[in-house]
Amino acid sequence: MDVIAQTQAICPRCEAVLDARLLERDGRVLLSRTCPEHGPFEAVVYGDADRYREIQRFDKPGEEPRERQTESVDGCPHDCGICPEHAQHTCLGIIEVNTACNLDCPICFADSGSGVQEHGFSLSLEQVESMLDAFVRAEGEPESVQISGGEPSIHPQILAILRAARAHGIALVMLNTNGIRLARDPRFAPALAEIGVHVYLQFDGFEEATQQAIRGRSLTDEKLRALDRCAEAGVSVSLAAAVERGVNEHEVGAIIGFGVGHPAVTGVFFQPVTHSGRFRVDSDPLDKLTNSDVIEAVAAQLPDWFRSEDFVPVPCCSPTCRSATFALYDGEDLIPLPRLVDVEHYLDYVTNRAVPELDVREALEGLWSAKAAGGSAPVAARLDCIACATAMPPQLREVAARGFMIVVQDFQDPYTLDLQKLRKCCVAEIAPDGRLIPFCAYNSVGYREQIRRETSAAAAVGAGERA
Amino acid sequence: MSAGAAGSPGLSALAPGAQPTGEDLKACCATVYADPAVRWMLGEVLHPGGERTTRRALELAGLRPGQRLLDVASGSGASAILAARDLGAEVVGVEYGVEAVRAARDLAADSGLGKRVRFLRGDAEALPVEDDSFDAVLCECSLCTFPDKQRAAAEFRRVLRPGGKLALSDVVVEEGALPAPLSGALATVACVGGALSQAGCERLLEGAGLSLTASELRDEDADLFTRGLEERLRGARLLGIPPPPGTPLSITEAIEVVRLARRAIADGALGYAILIAEG
Repeated sequence: MDVIAQTQAICPRCEAVLDARLLERDGRVLLSRTCPEHGPFEAVVYGDADRYREIQRFDKPGEEPRERQTESVDGCPHDCGICPEHAQHTCLGIIEVNTACNLDCPICFADSGSGVQEHGFSLSLEQVESMLDAFVRAEGEPESVQISGGEPSIHPQILAILRAARAHGIALVMLNTNGIRLARDPRFAPALAEIGVHVYLQFDGFEEATQQAIRGRSLTDEKLRALDRCAEAGVSVSLAAAVERGVNEHEVGAIIGFGVGHPAVTGVFFQPVTHSGRFRVDSDPLDKLTNSDVIEAVAAQLPDWFRSEDFVPVPCCSPTCRSATFALYDGEDLIPLPRLVDVEHYLDYVTNRAVPELDVREALEGLWSAKAAGGSAPVAARLDCIACATAMPPQLREVAARGFMIVVQDFQDPYTLDLQKLRKCCVAEIAPDGRLIPFCAYNSVGYREQIRRETSAAAAVGAGERA
Repeated sequence: MSAGAAGSPGLSALAPGAQPTGEDLKACCATVYADPAVRWMLGEVLHPGGERTTRRALELAGLRPGQRLLDVASGSGASAILAARDLGAEVVGVEYGVEAVRAARDLAADSGLGKRVRFLRGDAEALPVEDDSFDAVLCECSLCTFPDKQRAAAEFRRVLRPGGKLALSDVVVEEGALPAPLSGALATVACVGGALSQAGCERLLEGAGLSLTASELRDEDADLFTRGLEERLRGARLLGIPPPPGTPLSITEAIEVVRLARRAIADGALGYAILIAEG
């Protein structure tokens, strides 16, 4: 058993910050610490220790945020917004516009649902506008934002909110949805097309058992209808699959196979299920699925198309957070972009003796990023730049529309939260007061619950004043 | 083919039914390997293992700083520059293709190595250098394409000082075991059709007065190289990139040939080896 590195973690019971070690055991990487009050805790954070060591070279030095929003008082992770300890700017901002949902899934990190909600809220357009303003203040020219919930499509002002996001100059505005409104309301997809919205569609697999376990009921017909309506309206879609061990890890290949063949779909995001919020599936932190497990499952299920090495870590966040690839597909054959361009060479920040061509590196950094989604205009522009600047023949320019993006994104929970990784996080929840709170802190150390309480209480007071 | 061939000197050697001479084949190789599309498809690495193989071959040959090295068929000069820069050798590269010589000289000028690396235009079968003038000769993935291998081997012997080392890395085949599409003029240009068996190579060198002192199989590199080639060809087909003008194969046919080669590597009928011989 080797100690790979020292870091800090929290006690999953009391959230106390503890010194922790990253250990190699049985070929996997575990995060280990002992709380003086609650005892020892271990959780698997990466399923392949060799690969874990190998990918540390893709760790790009962080970029200074334009704005520090809070002061260091209690120390990481208890001072979020972007505090003086944070070591990265924010690539992707998430705005949760409501807590209500038209599903009641057994697994929900946001603990949303359809019933009468204790501490539920629905933000006003003005509140969302001020949150977008805060994001622009913090980032200058943010490239992507995701409107989420709850189920944002049932928010009464959702189209105005999406329009406001576009009006803030944000190129990639994503709507994170279960697709039910898209399926049922024939006017919704054309309205999204008119505004220029990219749909981030929950899509966990095809089998009845998968949908029962993750969503509580069969949704295939509605998902397919939603996708067809998007295709008809010209709305591009990323499929987002929550992947849970023993539930749907065997379906990852089928999801990619379906996605590349569907005219609306430009990418797939796989997210190992986080054990934050509400999860009724029994979970063992030593048996959690991680990025390397998902990547190996993809390679094993689609051996003619993928190898594990095709998934290159995104250098902006910690290399174990997010890995991605872009695939060229013509209806028959599929080739991952790293087979044609030496992506690893350009995104290696350690072993490169000479700095490679900077424009190519910058373009690849924009593709291998939390702000990217397949088929979007900035992604097309960056593929074009790579074609231009490398020995890659110019025909790559025409392939932007076929540049299918596959992402594997592991979020942290109270068991896996590694504070060194957290300080480099570039995906943030935008709080109603404008703070950018790193996503994994938001879900692991009480920010979500606190903000939900405060926001719903403020809404109740506001309603009282109006009455 | 005929129209394209007019614009691509040398590619006429590949026309169906052509009976290319040795000169035709040499010109053809020089043209093909200078073509940007071909270079992209090979990933800018023109032999299996790339730099790793070059370093290993020179290590096995015992090349020391300050020694004189001749790189025969030096292409655009990467290996010669590596030997001068990283191993401290005094290097002369000889290359048949005029364009490649020019590119190599540009690369050398950028490398700041001055006179420690020079490039000459010339033929491996009549090297433009003096007898007994080199401590080592490097010849990478090229002997297989030379029409008159005996003359080339005799030339290696002539330019090496007594006790000098030849570092050869090349495609090796099991005689009679290759399927038909992997022989003929096109296969010769692709390094497979004209390749020798390891025993045949040893006999050739011995006939020229060079005795084998070490050999190392590099089949894993051969597999990685052909795998990369197949993937780039698939990428070319996907992207709609046409083959170089005058090439008698479509991209799809080329993919099939490379797949045959990969199968032959897996079966042991085709491989890659480093051979070290002493003059």
